[in-house]
Amino acid sequence: MSTFVLMRILESAPQRYDLGIRLLTLGRVQRAYDRLASYIDPGQRVLDIGCGTGPLALRAARRGASVRAIDVNPQMLEIAARHGRDTGLSDRIELVEMSVAELDAERSESYDVVMSGLCLSELGDDELAYTLKQVTRILRPGGLLLVADEVRPQSLVTRMLHSLVRIPLAILTYVISQRTTRPIAGLHDKLTQAGLSIMSADTSRLGSFIELMAKKPDKATA
Amino acid sequence: MSYLHYAWTNILQTLLRVLPFPCRTGLVKIGAPGRDSPVLLTCNFRLTVARVRRAIQGIDAYLLVANSRGINVWCAATGGLLTNHDVIAVLKTSGIEDLVDHRQLILPQLAATGIEGAVVHRKTGWTVVWGPVRASAIPAFLKAGSQAAASMRTIDFPWPQRLEMAVAWASPISLLALLLLLFWPQGALPVVGLVWALSALIFLSFPLYHERLRTTGGRIALALLLWLLFMAALLAATIHAGTLSWPLAIRWGAISLIVVAILTVDLMGSTPVYKGGFQEDRLLQIALDGELCTGVGLCEQVCPRNVFEVDYQQRVATVAKAEDCVQCGACIVQCPCDALHFRSATGAVVPPETVRRFKVNLLGRRLVDSARAT
Repeated sequence: MSTFVLMRILESAPQRYDLGIRLLTLGRVQRAYDRLASYIDPGQRVLDIGCGTGPLALRAARRGASVRAIDVNPQMLEIAARHGRDTGLSDRIELVEMSVAELDAERSESYDVVMSGLCLSELGDDELAYTLKQVTRILRPGGLLLVADEVRPQSLVTRMLHSLVRIPLAILTYVISQRTTRPIAGLHDKLTQAGLSIMSADTSRLGSFIELMAKKPDKATA
Repeated sequence: MSYLHYAWTNILQTLLRVLPFPCRTGLVKIGAPGRDSPVLLTCNFRLTVARVRRAIQGIDAYLLVANSRGINVWCAATGGLLTNHDVIAVLKTSGIEDLVDHRQLILPQLAATGIEGAVVHRKTGWTVVWGPVRASAIPAFLKAGSQAAASMRTIDFPWPQRLEMAVAWASPISLLALLLLLFWPQGALPVVGLVWALSALIFLSFPLYHERLRTTGGRIALALLLWLLFMAALLAATIHAGTLSWPLAIRWGAISLIVVAILTVDLMGSTPVYKGGFQEDRLLQIALDGELCTGVGLCEQVCPRNVFEVDYQQRVATVAKAEDCVQCGACIVQCPCDALHFRSATGAVVPPETVRRFKVNLLGRRLVDSARAT
């Protein structure tokens, strides 16, 4: 079966994931996570979708929230658990091997904040629509969705410029972490369709990386 | 899809076989499926989807394309990139549940290394049926009432697949060899030619020598033989042309030795019929606990090498042809009684829950650690 080299690379991929993603986003992602986490208040109940090695979950826990962090990859979860122990935040983070397709098992209106870093872009179109619908259901009225992810730039020119920068970075990232993302197209419309209102959205200069805060309408206005 | 487009997809993707090529996930209708039509699932490797669609054209069916990150079924399932989660996701988000009245999902047999039929059933209510190893057998499989005959369940290594592997290895190595253009331009093309010739020779002549690969001595002897064959041909040609010289012989001797070494270093691992032979410390034996076995027979259904014999009267399985096992782990993952596990040369046991959670290709350090602990 599989060859030696591929096996070695694969089995250590999650360890190199953080480095790979940092390269692909040119370091933007860490700063974006810091800013997004600043929306979280102590005591809030937070869901981290696709927590990976746990960068967002750790930031939320550090702000005093109680976090449920889900991911499909048991190796990523192992690393996240280690980071939790190293920072003494384990008791505030519940790590669960679970996919977005199982969000229907979460209670309605049970979260103050749902957040997701570089996960939505790994989903197919069907999965993304399903996830946003579920997120809207499980957020309490007035609850927030925080997203940091790659999006497809709006205009053709920036899209081409973006591709020029991204393709070599994407190859490098794949070599390092065997992982890549597919920038999301039309995220704004998809969020609106799911019933969320976009409160703020900052894209990087080429419009390829988005930091977004959306809100589930309060009961009175809904 | 036109024939030309299909041919182009095949050629391009075979050349770049070692890279992932993702395509759209979700539901694909084949023909005019109705509420009783079969539901099949495959990965989102573009070439696989094209081949599956071609194999089942003329049949009314639903094809679910699950997210395997653009990698083929066997590699993705065994490497943890096509999991229960991906199957559950496509079942629940593609809308298939509203389109058919039944809940029977046909999965490719080679996905059994990573997808647990029992978990998919528990979480979604869909019953998993293991389909054939090759897409081309799907029509016969459906005609037989979704029953896979032993020949459909067994993987072999016929010449079209061998040619495919030869191309899959030769093209990326040639790309590397083209770097020679920078400092030895006249040598680049001959080196590329050498890579393709040796690669084709190695894979097409596979049936002649493959039994000898089982020992380290045999593998080294094969590499040396290939090298000597090339050197003999080179000497004969240069003597004939009167261009033989020491620098030329040494240069091409070294280059061909490197190419042979790259191509043969894990030759067994490049075939579907042997375990990777390179890492002796990771060679595992399949072990069956007769006390736990109740003769369910899932092992026989998912084994691509037909290693098991199941006595349905005595309700017990035996590992009849252990030497044919390729260490894919499918039987361990599927066994509902946890009666199967891996055992390493040092006697360390890899229990089924470890194989299920971390997949065979990702055991790596875990295997080494567990061996050290015992």
